[in-house]
Amino acid sequence: MADTAIKVHVQDLHKSYGNTEVLKGLNLDVKNNEVVCMIGPSGSGKSTFLRCLTDLEVPSKGQIVINGYDLSDAKTNIDLVRENIGMVFQHFNLFPNMNVLQNITLAPIQLKKMTPAKAEKTARDLLDQVGLADKATALPTALSGGQQQRVAIARALAMHPKIMLFDEPTSALDPEMVGDVLDVMKQLARDGMTMIVVTHEMGFAKEVADRVVFMADGLIRESGAPKDIFEHPQNPRLQDFLNKVINV
Amino acid sequence: MKKWQVAVVLCLAAIGSWFGLTAHAQAAEYTIATDTTFAPFEFQVKGGQYKGIDIDLLKAIAKKEHFTYQLKALSFNAAVQQLSANQVDGVIAGMNITPAREVTFDFSKPYYTSGVVMAVAKDSTVKNFNDLKGKTVALKTGTAGAAYGKSIQNKYGFKIKYFNDSNTMYNDVKVGNSSACFEDYPVMSYGIKNGIPLKIISKQHNAGDYGFAVKKGKNAALLKKFNAGLAAIKADGTYQKIINKYLHSKESKITGETASSRTFFGLFSQNLGTLGKGLWMTIELTVISIILATLLGLLLGVLGVMPGKIGPAISSTIIYIFRGMPLMVLAFFIYIGIPDLIGHGFKIPAFIAGMITLMLNEGAYTGAFVKGGFQAVDAGQMEAARSLGLPYWKAMRKVVMPQGIRIMIPSFINQFIITLKDTSILSVIGIVELTQTGTLIIARNFEGFKIWLMIAIIYLIIITLLTWLSNWVQRRIN
Ligand SMILES: Nc1ncnc2c1ncn2[C@@H]1O[C@H](COP(=O)(O)OP(=O)(O)OP(=O)(O)O)[C@@H](O)[C@H]1O
Ligand SMILES: [Mg+2]
Repeated sequence: MADTAIKVHVQDLHKSYGNTEVLKGLNLDVKNNEVVCMIGPSGSGKSTFLRCLTDLEVPSKGQIVINGYDLSDAKTNIDLVRENIGMVFQHFNLFPNMNVLQNITLAPIQLKKMTPAKAEKTARDLLDQVGLADKATALPTALSGGQQQRVAIARALAMHPKIMLFDEPTSALDPEMVGDVLDVMKQLARDGMTMIVVTHEMGFAKEVADRVVFMADGLIRESGAPKDIFEHPQNPRLQDFLNKVINV
Repeated sequence: MKKWQVAVVLCLAAIGSWFGLTAHAQAAEYTIATDTTFAPFEFQVKGGQYKGIDIDLLKAIAKKEHFTYQLKALSFNAAVQQLSANQVDGVIAGMNITPAREVTFDFSKPYYTSGVVMAVAKDSTVKNFNDLKGKTVALKTGTAGAAYGKSIQNKYGFKIKYFNDSNTMYNDVKVGNSSACFEDYPVMSYGIKNGIPLKIISKQHNAGDYGFAVKKGKNAALLKKFNAGLAAIKADGTYQKIINKYLHSKESKITGETASSRTFFGLFSQNLGTLGKGLWMTIELTVISIILATLLGLLLGVLGVMPGKIGPAISSTIIYIFRGMPLMVLAFFIYIGIPDLIGHGFKIPAFIAGMITLMLNEGAYTGAFVKGGFQAVDAGQMEAARSLGLPYWKAMRKVVMPQGIRIMIPSFINQFIITLKDTSILSVIGIVELTQTGTLIIARNFEGFKIWLMIAIIYLIIITLLTWLSNWVQRRIN
């Protein structure tokens, strides 16, 4: 039963900036252990959607239930909700004033009241897992983009999130570095992490995703198994989008 | 966290001990204000003490009438304003008894009568009032000389330039910026006898009486004692002795200075103690104000970047008000305006008023760059921290503030230096810091160039030290 439990329930989600409506009534359910890849043209609202899931943006209308917390409920403690969500940004957003270990242990020490020693042990295990055991005391500025992104993933994992959200985690990277980051993500998927990944890496989506959703102009236009989406696209905008991506 | 706590404790301790000191000093029955430079009625001598006809008369009268007082030397203007604001109990400052003043003050029986004379530079071509046409005349605000000068301005067609103390006024005439000044005869003749390079070229006009003043309707008892004491010292000859001492002797006799001590180094070693005291006051004010202004600035900066509208609105309003107001206006407002408003004999010690002034003004400037520094931190930093589940304040303290403060360090150093220099403005409310110390020393020896050079060098030395210290701290942080 747990395997099919709904981790994310989004219903009729609207988001406007002034008079421009960016999300126009979006619906999406994500099950436990499911990996959903989200693709779509620039400006279609993918980032906005992810940011709504962690309340970095407040929806204009609609319902979001994530890990059982209803975000529109005023009694919901947003900090607690966020502790259970791992967010990975396109530009990593590591804290430049702290070294790698401090970046990873900050939240566990501050929020889980973990002792520094225990937090450091967990952090070193995570660094091992992302292949950066030797960079524990390095400053973020001394790392390559790919290494920084893997630290950012380790930082998110240190809070033991129940779901991971990735917003184009590899699009700011040197192509040389993309593989290392995707490997870490694939391992996460194999370990059963529930994930929503906004990405332009079609290969990754094909290989890892349980489901691919195509977004255009503020709405999900098509959703299905990777095979169906990539081999038998129905929606003309999706066909158009895939042609462009492949021809690049 | 630990470090700023230590700073706060030190700061509170300093304020506390200062309150203790003032409480102790204010054990005297009365606070009586006087002018800083109005020789021979009042002037400072070696070691920072005040002497002069007013000072000695007051001392003799207090002894006869058995009351104690604390003397407060301010500019004449500040003394008068403080009396109206009930900040002091009385003023003795060679003040003319005029109908206008009698509206707000009660005066003692006259204790001296003098007239106004015109003085010009030794080599001046001005021979009489007619020669003043189109020229500039220097006047000292609030004096009988000023009133007289003003009354004949239209008739003789000259321009007026006002000064707050006599020496700056004399100097303006000496260097030729102004063509003449009007001054009370005893003051002018005493000054000339003691080396002011001016000459008196008119007879005495508008003879007037000097009186000791209290605020109207208040302190009738003090006034009664003064009158009784004055009568008593006139009767026993003390009064005449005091007048003779000041009007018929050279200043050097009173101040104990010798001619050989007029070289730069002679003056320096001779005034070392006084300069040291002034410097210490400047440093004390600077350090306490820097700490307070930094705390206020951080608070304003944090408020300024807070989510929502209220925090930023409060922050910008406070920054707008205190950054826009000239420091001197703010100092007068706090020191004289607020007690005036509150009434009931409420007083703010000058040091505290000065500290609050600097805290608000420098704090507003600090707040502006602190806010800018926080805003300069990439918004992604706050988002990443919040996404981990850190509450706003924790994210601010652990992630945004350390990065912002690093950006602000050069601005902080700059602000510390400005604060140090701005302490000099507080001389207007009678705080005897380094600049005011210079004014007072020059008031008795007229060595403007050497003393101001000395003061300038001292400021440069401490600013250099402060810069070194700041750079050292900056290197430690990075
Ligand atoms: N804070 C904002 N204010 C106004 N408009 C915004 C804001 N944030 C996003 N938008 C607009 O919303 C639309 C969707 O933006 P979003 O970043 O969600 O797109 P995206 O699908 O993530 O695109 P990309 O692939 O380029 O990252 C865009 O047209 C963008 O200009
Ligand atoms: Mg995006």
